[in-house]
Amino acid sequence: MTIKIPDATREFLNDAGELSRFAGRFFYEGLRPRYEVREFVRQCYVVGYKSLPLVGLTAFIMGLVLTMQLQPTMVYYGVESQIPAMVGISIVREIGPILTALIFAGKIGSSIGAELGSMKVTEQIDAMEVSGTNPFKYLVVTRAFATMLMLPVLVVIADAISLYGSFLGVNIYEKTSLLLFFRKVFENLEYIDVVPAVIKTFFFGFAVGIIGCYKGYYSSKGTEGVGHSANSAVVVSSVVIFILDLIAVQITDILT
Amino acid sequence: MKDHNINTIKLGVFVIAGLVLFIATLYALGKNRNLFGTQFELRTRFRDVNGLLVGNNVRFSGIDVGSVRSVTILNDTTIEVVMNVDRKMKKFIRTNAQATLGTDGLIGNRVVNLAPMSGNAPFVQGGELLPSREEINTQQMLETLSRTNESVAVIADELLGTVQRINSSAQLTRLLSDESLSDNLKASLVNLNRATANAALLMDNANETLRLASQGSGPLATLLTDTTLSAELHRTVRQLQAVEANAQQLALDLDQVVRTVETDYRQGPGPVNALMRDSLMTLRLEKTLENVENGTAAFNENMEALKHNFLFRGYFKKMEKRKKKEMK
Repeated sequence: MTIKIPDATREFLNDAGELSRFAGRFFYEGLRPRYEVREFVRQCYVVGYKSLPLVGLTAFIMGLVLTMQLQPTMVYYGVESQIPAMVGISIVREIGPILTALIFAGKIGSSIGAELGSMKVTEQIDAMEVSGTNPFKYLVVTRAFATMLMLPVLVVIADAISLYGSFLGVNIYEKTSLLLFFRKVFENLEYIDVVPAVIKTFFFGFAVGIIGCYKGYYSSKGTEGVGHSANSAVVVSSVVIFILDLIAVQITDILT
Repeated sequence: MKDHNINTIKLGVFVIAGLVLFIATLYALGKNRNLFGTQFELRTRFRDVNGLLVGNNVRFSGIDVGSVRSVTILNDTTIEVVMNVDRKMKKFIRTNAQATLGTDGLIGNRVVNLAPMSGNAPFVQGGELLPSREEINTQQMLETLSRTNESVAVIADELLGTVQRINSSAQLTRLLSDESLSDNLKASLVNLNRATANAALLMDNANETLRLASQGSGPLATLLTDTTLSAELHRTVRQLQAVEANAQQLALDLDQVVRTVETDYRQGPGPVNALMRDSLMTLRLEKTLENVENGTAAFNENMEALKHNFLFRGYFKKMEKRKKKEMK
């Protein structure tokens, strides 16, 4: 007796299995010499440094808007002075990492998916194999490592920019010094707020990189497949980021 | 190649900036929790820590000086709180400093407040058990507030009754509506002012008298300091005492006399008893007095006749002339 599995489910499970195998191969290839350091550094520059303007702008606006939206309610309850504490905890624990990861997935996930997809379609990956270069090591390992290491850096910088935006937001309604604002932020932060929030961004970055690479690496159906790879890389990365965030929050709760 | 190097430098700056921010954040958090300075340990005990957690701040006179290291339950009524306090505070915290539990703001984290107490207790060395005071928690405050509200309600009811009685009192209404009341009151105040002024004057005079007396001048001083007057007074007092003794003796003699008279009157054979009680004697006396009156009248007639006698007429005329002279 055979069980009839719906096509969509079969495709989903197949994708999940392939992605797991792809991730396993990443660790296998990544930890073995030879290391593509030069390409890794280049990818770090592309996925990290070049994402900074977009991430920074988004974070700044988010900090500013969050403060402006909170201000009337906090004034209503007479706890206006707690805005730095509240915004600080919100940004550092959740908004900073998740927003940066989503922006990062939109920009870098689609970029990696489209780039590798077009290379696959134009058979450049096959050509690399023929020429003796390990395309997985050169294309996938470097990108996935770069995303995994650059996203935490981006998140820390984005948090700082976002808090500065919040500081400007507070100064729209009342005058406060930068030192006092950040002192209030840090008075209400704990290690348990900062460290897990940064650690989970390594997983977010890894998810964005590995999914983008997977979708591009196994792209098909010509130019249409390239677009599909880019699109699905962003969608799947975003969903996985939320799932990972949920798990991270649960683990953090257990630890505290 | 050149572009690659520039990009690498940009990447380095980017990564270093991220790392510096991250490390600075960790350092700031650690500094807030006093993790990087040298510290010493202090202990205190509470009955109820009201949600105090490890890592909560410790404040001395409102300044953050440390954090809670551990909260351990010793028995069902005692919880020991061990605190890490900045070593620099050793020269400020005394062993009689009192620990209380507080809140950072109205809804903030719990904190342990160390308050300096009066007295010259030695400074802490580390490991001391500080005395603690249980704070009034929100439930107790609400209970107290509830009791206060009930008391206020009772007072308000009684006050309302009093006001109603005042409003319904015709006498009081008449008193309040009496226009002359203010004039009378004003006059009373004027009198009171005058009386006060007089009292002040009296006091001034008394002060002046006392001042003079203290300086040895004035009648009071004389009275108080004159030794001859004192001797006179002593002598007078002694004489008064002698007079009093005589008076007592006199009273005793009189008493004796009265008793004798009374005895005579009641039973004695003397004249008093006869005089007062014997009716025959009374009649005899009346008769005798009548005879005396008649004799006296006859004597007067004899004397008048004697005045007209030629032997004695000259003498009586001389007497009349002398009287007239004396009258002039």
